[in-house]
Amino acid sequence: MSFVWRKRWFLLLFPLLLAVTVWQIRIESDLNAFFTASDNEDSKLLSGLLQSGELSRRYMLVVEKATNQEPFGLSLSKGDSTSSGRTETGLLGHTTSPPQNPASLDTFSAKLVLQLAQIEGVEQVWPANEPPREWVDAVRSYAPYHARLFSLDPKEDGRKLFDPASLTGRAEGLKQALLSPQGGFVKAIAKQDPLLLSLNGFKDLQGQFERQAELGSGGALILQSRYAALDSELHSRLQAAIRASFDSLNQAAGGAFRLSMAGVPVFSVAAHSEISQDVTLVSVVSSVAVAAVFLLLFQSFSALHWVMMVQIASFVVGALVTALAFGTAHSLTLALGGSLIGICTDYPIHVMVHCAKHRNSPLDAARLLWPSLLMGGLTTVIGYAALGLTGFPGFEQIAIFALASIAASLGLTRWVLPALLAHSSLHVAHLPGIAAWVDFCARRRKLLLSLFAICVILAGLTLPQTRWMDDMQKLAMNMDQLKQQDETVRSHFASIEPARFVLVQADDLETALRRTEAAERRLKRLKQAGILSEYHGLFPWLASQDLQNENAKVYAQALTPQFQDAWRAALGKAELSVDKLGKLLPPAALSLEPEAVLASPVLHILSGQMIEGQKGVTLTLWLGDHDPQKLTEGLAGLEGTRYFSQKDQLDRLASLYRDRSLFMLAIGIVVMGLLIWLQQRSIRKVLLTLLPTLASVLFIFAIWALIKEEVSFLHIIGLLLSVSLCVDYGIFFMDNRGRDSDITYHALASSTLTTLASFGALGLGKTPTLPILALSVSLGVTLGFLLCPLLIQKPSLK
Amino acid sequence: MTLINMINAECSEKILLNHNYLRHLRSIVKPGLCLLLALLPTPGFCDETELQALLGRIRQSGSAEFHYEEIRKLELASSPWQGQGNMLSGSDGSLVKQQLQPTRVVMAIAEGRMYYWDPEQQQRHTAPLGQSGQASALITVFIAILQGHADGLKSSYDFAPEQHGKHWILRLTPKPELGNQEAATVEISGEEDGRKQQVLIRQPDGESTEYRMLKTAEGQQLDKIIQRLLLEAMGD
Repeated sequence: MSFVWRKRWFLLLFPLLLAVTVWQIRIESDLNAFFTASDNEDSKLLSGLLQSGELSRRYMLVVEKATNQEPFGLSLSKGDSTSSGRTETGLLGHTTSPPQNPASLDTFSAKLVLQLAQIEGVEQVWPANEPPREWVDAVRSYAPYHARLFSLDPKEDGRKLFDPASLTGRAEGLKQALLSPQGGFVKAIAKQDPLLLSLNGFKDLQGQFERQAELGSGGALILQSRYAALDSELHSRLQAAIRASFDSLNQAAGGAFRLSMAGVPVFSVAAHSEISQDVTLVSVVSSVAVAAVFLLLFQSFSALHWVMMVQIASFVVGALVTALAFGTAHSLTLALGGSLIGICTDYPIHVMVHCAKHRNSPLDAARLLWPSLLMGGLTTVIGYAALGLTGFPGFEQIAIFALASIAASLGLTRWVLPALLAHSSLHVAHLPGIAAWVDFCARRRKLLLSLFAICVILAGLTLPQTRWMDDMQKLAMNMDQLKQQDETVRSHFASIEPARFVLVQADDLETALRRTEAAERRLKRLKQAGILSEYHGLFPWLASQDLQNENAKVYAQALTPQFQDAWRAALGKAELSVDKLGKLLPPAALSLEPEAVLASPVLHILSGQMIEGQKGVTLTLWLGDHDPQKLTEGLAGLEGTRYFSQKDQLDRLASLYRDRSLFMLAIGIVVMGLLIWLQQRSIRKVLLTLLPTLASVLFIFAIWALIKEEVSFLHIIGLLLSVSLCVDYGIFFMDNRGRDSDITYHALASSTLTTLASFGALGLGKTPTLPILALSVSLGVTLGFLLCPLLIQKPSLK
Repeated sequence: MTLINMINAECSEKILLNHNYLRHLRSIVKPGLCLLLALLPTPGFCDETELQALLGRIRQSGSAEFHYEEIRKLELASSPWQGQGNMLSGSDGSLVKQQLQPTRVVMAIAEGRMYYWDPEQQQRHTAPLGQSGQASALITVFIAILQGHADGLKSSYDFAPEQHGKHWILRLTPKPELGNQEAATVEISGEEDGRKQQVLIRQPDGESTEYRMLKTAEGQQLDKIIQRLLLEAMGD
């Protein structure tokens, strides 16, 4: 095809490709999807919990009086009311204006609850010190099963519950309950369950809300969203809607209140915002830096224009292939992929440098360099493929992105770029010091090699001091301000920890429930011992058949004629209806089937504690503040039950990732060596080509050890990238297709500069991942570039 | 003519404006337990216009304190339960019932929420008025009548006033066409002198609550007592 038609086709297809990509691509920003591998059960569980776990979907909202407002408009002290009910007004101090109603915070919160409930994406919202209405209704539905569900430990509790001596007090308590505002609720239960046994089963649930009430935070609300925790775009809209609702109410209240918000989605939105800023910053700075370096080197806007179009086309191909292969493209893939522009620019740069220096046509230069370009491209792809095999879901994307982008860039450089550059006048700037360094290496080779050998030995000696990073939290963004706000908000709640819980697994639901009940009994004891502040179990919402039968047995044994008589006497004493409450029925013939419970609204209450898995049943028991070690010891010996900490799991993953990265680094280098051997058929050449790369890896590790940098899997991954780039340098330097080492080294210098420009831009990112990659790659390519003329002796230098 | 009848709505508005109540008056329908006393017999009481005039007179504000006796007949109790104490209606729409016998219990209603505090049993409850089921519906009716929002009940209740000499009765019966099986029938009665009145709430399940009330005090100074009791009920 003629150059004219190649150019026309390119100009025609380029916008088409862009349009298809924009149409097809869906960008994801879920960091968890990028980093959390899902190749084992725990990782899947962790990934699922982070993405859609119920506690992860919750917001904690705190409405407080704005600090410039006098609380309740009047300073009042507690307990000033007299027992006679008459209060001395003189105790209240002096005030000329009528006091504000003290209920205003509660009222404002109640109004806010109603308004928030209308927002799209809000599943449920309720004051933290009150159970949601649905829960109360659900509790009522358990009354017919009172004899089967009154206790987790029926033998022990039965002694107290069925003690005839306690019946007078219980009848009086029932009367008081019937007279209280909860009388309607209690009456409905008492008709079926006069001893209120079913409420005994739920007393722990009541305790949770009482503890919250003790915190006295009338404005503490819990909002459960429908969206997966890390779906930051939806959460961003939801948070804006929450604030708008609050603002409109607060405006009507004269701005008397302020709202604080916490929860996993708050972090996810903040992280998304930071990442978006990073992506924009890195993309812009990287592009501008590469363009600037390019202009500095070639002083041609026309060439810049065509080369950038080639690179953009390569980027777009990468994005499209990624989107087609994975359904979505992660924003970090695009950010890191953006740095690929710097690598892919190497191919046109080599062609252009040779073209300018040799006064060849671009087509001749492309043909001449094609074997080296292809081999360089292949080794880079291998580096990225090794990256993809480390197990990070995000890096699988990057590997595919790189494969497509590099293939597109190579193809366009070989077949389209010569057509685009046909009428461009190419010059290349002379880079000072390049020739001098090559000459110096040639002249002082022995001395430099000796120094190099000493450095290798010293570097080897420092390796044992390498510090490994095992805490994945250190890779998280710095969100101190948000964490502080989170802590402040959480202090208003009797908290359940979202990241640590007890995990119970079994093949079937009945076994899982039996195991959960055993675990709950232990947790109860641990709570009594002060090791655990509270826990959210599944009993009595769900109870195993075994436990239900045991309850029924204890109940039936206690229901003697004497006990019935004592109960009737107690009712009479309390002036309650013996006719309506005096007959204690035998246990319900049928037990409460878990399947029936899960088909009722109770499923909604328990959904966060039931985790769907491919294998069997997984249930969780949520924990309040606790001592992890003592709690783990306390649960020892329970089959299918273990303590699960998301942080520990993440740390384990970090360690696993690091080991995999090191392994893949070694595998990557071996495969690259194999490819070079296939081309060169010489072990010596293979070793010479790889030597600068291997040396730079060693030196980088030594530098990290000396500066006490904690090495994470991300450092290794950065190193893997730099290896794939350095090997290219070795290949070009070894091949030296133009038979002119000065030109080859100039081309390498040019590509090193563009690589540094693009990867250096990553260093500006706030996401710790990006600066780590920037440091690793920049150090690697710089050392690799400098070591080439020293270690590769083969080319006869001009 | 009673004191309350003398204080018409316009007059009370002026008085209250002088006391910086403007904000409250604009947002809250003016309450007042004492307004029950306005339900005095007048000729042609059955006439809608007259009823409106009567309800209009109810809409007056002012804090008042009543001594009350409460008799509750519970479906699950063998005999009526009796209690007594003070009931205070605040100028801001709040209502506090301080039961003193047989045990002290404070129940308060303020801005759409109910607070309950039983110091002896150490039981505390709070809930929005709309979320307490039948109890909530009863309280809502009770408050609406006591604080002069009876107009709002007209969509759900038929009003039937009666006059027997110096004694008057106003019956509120749930509209049958609405089919609300849980709605209570309310009967308010009183004497011409306006100091005493009775409120009888009958529920469809046979339960009933009767309040016999006697006004013991009124005036702005009661707001402070109400506020103190509210804080106690809220647990602050």
